[in-house]
Amino acid sequence: MKKGVLFAIAALVSAAMAAPATAATGQRIKITGEIIDTWCYITEIMYAEGTAHHQCAMWCAAGGIPVGILADDGQVYMVFKLEGDATSVANPAILKIQTHRVTVDGEVYERDGIQYLVVNQVVDDSGIVKQTHEDYGIQPFGN
Amino acid sequence: MTYFKTLLTAMSFLVALNGATHAAEEWGLPDEKVTRFEAKVVDILCELTGDCPKACGAGKRQLGLLNDANKLILPTKNSVIFAGAAAELIDFCNEKVIADGLLTTNRGHTIFALQFVRKAPDGPWRGANRFLPKWAAANGVDPKSDTVEEWYLHDPAIKAELAANGKLGLGLAADKEYEARQ
Repeated sequence: MKKGVLFAIAALVSAAMAAPATAATGQRIKITGEIIDTWCYITEIMYAEGTAHHQCAMWCAAGGIPVGILADDGQVYMVFKLEGDATSVANPAILKIQTHRVTVDGEVYERDGIQYLVVNQVVDDSGIVKQTHEDYGIQPFGN
Repeated sequence: MTYFKTLLTAMSFLVALNGATHAAEEWGLPDEKVTRFEAKVVDILCELTGDCPKACGAGKRQLGLLNDANKLILPTKNSVIFAGAAAELIDFCNEKVIADGLLTTNRGHTIFALQFVRKAPDGPWRGANRFLPKWAAANGVDPKSDTVEEWYLHDPAIKAELAANGKLGLGLAADKEYEARQ
């Protein structure tokens, strides 16, 4: 019994030490845009939108690079939770909608210049809309 | 494309070094800064929302680097082609590390490419390429085989998706039609 109590106290202390002191409330938001690979898009190491980059975006998502939504206003939102699933490293559900044009409801947390997004619901999924391969080929190797 | 090839060469070099040297290489990224700093490895979702599972999510969550000025830095990349940094940092969950790599700023965002990491203040340096042996173990592949270097061509989840919807994501017929014209 004493051991159980001590273990519970230790667990609570450990959780308290791990938890941040400054957790914030997110801002409710509705966004429409394309699911993208954030590394290739932000660094512009290659063309990183639409069908031309779909295969590479699948590789990067499976490799654990953060996935984002490129909103119609040009803002990139890092997707850190998707409809209750907090897996943000190689989430199989993200692979299913990579490059799709979606509208999502969620909360955004801005921190040090990055917009982190918790997606509560994918309201609309139009599939892959932006066809860019005729102009840019298949990135980055051409096949 | 040339830009990507240069980056690919630099990354291959880093993987080959496997931590033998510990200073970040330039990759020619936009507004690139070779950077070494001390920071705490944090579960970003926990940091932002207070949703804090055990062990930083045990590899399923993106991890951040919270520096001494309380600035949260997003490590987006490691030294392995098409792979991210969470696999390199998970062993240091909620611990302080020395991170060595590249800060790059473009399109209004600053992100970090991790090349080397060690537990602060003086743990042994690690190259940021542990993704490969972890991928090999998870997929039952010899970690020294050529398959591992080209992990992205052999990953079962990727292969299944591409087999179903094609490289363009528009279906196999669209791939076939496009490739026939090349």
